[in-house]
Amino acid sequence: MTDAAENRNFALYETLVINAARLVFLAVFFAAWEYIARNRIVNPLFIGIPTEIAKFLWIGLFVEFSLIKDLYWTLGSTFLAFVIGSVAGIITGLMFITWPWFERFSDPLFSALNALPRIALAPLFLLWFGLGIWSKVALGASLTYFIVLSSAVAGIRSTNADHLTLSRTLGASKGQIFAKVTLPSAVPTIFSGLRLGLIYALLGVIGGEIIAAQHGLGQLLSFLAGSFQISGVFAVLFILAILGTGLIALMNSLEKWLLRWQ
Amino acid sequence: MSGQGQLAAGATVKPEAGGYAQAPVAAPEIGNVSIRDLNHRFGSSVHAAADVNLNFAPGEFVSIVGPSGCGKTTVLNLLAGLMPVQEGTISIFGSPPKAGRHDVAYMLARDCLFPWLTAAQNAEFGARIRHADRQKSQERARHLLEAVGLKGFEDNYPKALSHGMRQRVALARTFCLDSPLLLMDEPFGALDAQTKMQLEDVLLSLWMKERRTVVFITHDLAEAITLSDRVVVMSARPGRIIADIRIELPRPRSVTDLQKDPEYHKIYAKVWEKLEVGLQS
Repeated sequence: MTDAAENRNFALYETLVINAARLVFLAVFFAAWEYIARNRIVNPLFIGIPTEIAKFLWIGLFVEFSLIKDLYWTLGSTFLAFVIGSVAGIITGLMFITWPWFERFSDPLFSALNALPRIALAPLFLLWFGLGIWSKVALGASLTYFIVLSSAVAGIRSTNADHLTLSRTLGASKGQIFAKVTLPSAVPTIFSGLRLGLIYALLGVIGGEIIAAQHGLGQLLSFLAGSFQISGVFAVLFILAILGTGLIALMNSLEKWLLRWQ
Repeated sequence: MSGQGQLAAGATVKPEAGGYAQAPVAAPEIGNVSIRDLNHRFGSSVHAAADVNLNFAPGEFVSIVGPSGCGKTTVLNLLAGLMPVQEGTISIFGSPPKAGRHDVAYMLARDCLFPWLTAAQNAEFGARIRHADRQKSQERARHLLEAVGLKGFEDNYPKALSHGMRQRVALARTFCLDSPLLLMDEPFGALDAQTKMQLEDVLLSLWMKERRTVVFITHDLAEAITLSDRVVVMSARPGRIIADIRIELPRPRSVTDLQKDPEYHKIYAKVWEKLEVGLQS
């Protein structure tokens, strides 16, 4: 057997062992949790019961679909918040680059707004946009916006000076330089901002839903916690963790495809 | 192929030993590239180019050598129109220099490839910017990549290419343009000696096919002699032309064969002498 094949086999073996170890760890963890809660070593009112959590998930996801409906509201608001926030952020970034005086003029304003804890705007957004999704979208978008804005500005500024010189000697128009040089050079930096922006959009939406909403996982979370259905709270937290991981994985694969040249 | 007729060839040194005595420069005429009474200063203290007069005949390969900071790159950037001319006149085919004119192609010291484009896309980048026919430039880029020895690497991204290979792509990109005047700013300056010689060969073979006018900046005297019809030597700041030497080595030249050629070494010693004397005066 060649060295390479041996190495590959070893790597495969290692992955298998690690995954098995993870499964064993989780099984032990949940069994201990179940035991502690059932025997009231810790009051299940605080930590829930794993089998109850599983039951809640099963019913919510596959029997009554109530969790699916809330997931749908949350995901929809997150998507809208992300798109609105990022598009606005990138456009503002472009305006900053095109008109430097505009950036100088608005810099203190933007810094103050960015420094403001955005969640503090939630009551105002509720008043302006109502209890529906738009107040959550506004909150999420306000978080995404500044993250994407700063990454867009940094990305556009990072354009290689040699690339610009070359384009000048080739006689490239402003539009050509933007589309073929500036924008592609900015993509990696903008993308890391977008990934962070997506997570923050979810944060803003969930935060908004917890404060006041009619639908959504955040609203469900706050309702369940208020009525001491702790197993339900844990179930929602599991869904949120999986949702966050899924969103990051989606962005990662999109990035891998877009930046395959890196 | 540099064996016969070699002994008869030698360097004709134009200016008299040591002195700054340049052949009179004719008035700019259409079809020529010329620099007259050029002076360039950065701020009040740095005098980068002093009284530079140069003429480049069509199809001539001219190298400008000199110590770093002597203003040779300044002269090239002025030719490229990247900076405004302060004093004197530059005429390129009868009109003043301007960045982006299509009859001039500029090659930088760094390969300057776009990491998000493949070798083939990089090679045709310039032609595409200049709105050349898409299919033609695509074909030409493939052809040139083959000529620079990168057949089979067309679809590789720059990250997968070595330094030398990347500079080969940059050469292909430069030659993919139709420009009759090529300006090259130390294109092989960052390469190791071996790779450098390979690329000099590639450049010579590309140039021999079309014989465009080339202005080649380098600090490497050996490189200048190997490639050029004429070597222009500039002094340390303020950068003056201290020698303008015709290199009478026969063409086509082979870079590796030249290394063993006594005639080449004789010329090298002569030009070096000029450079040395000029630098002291």
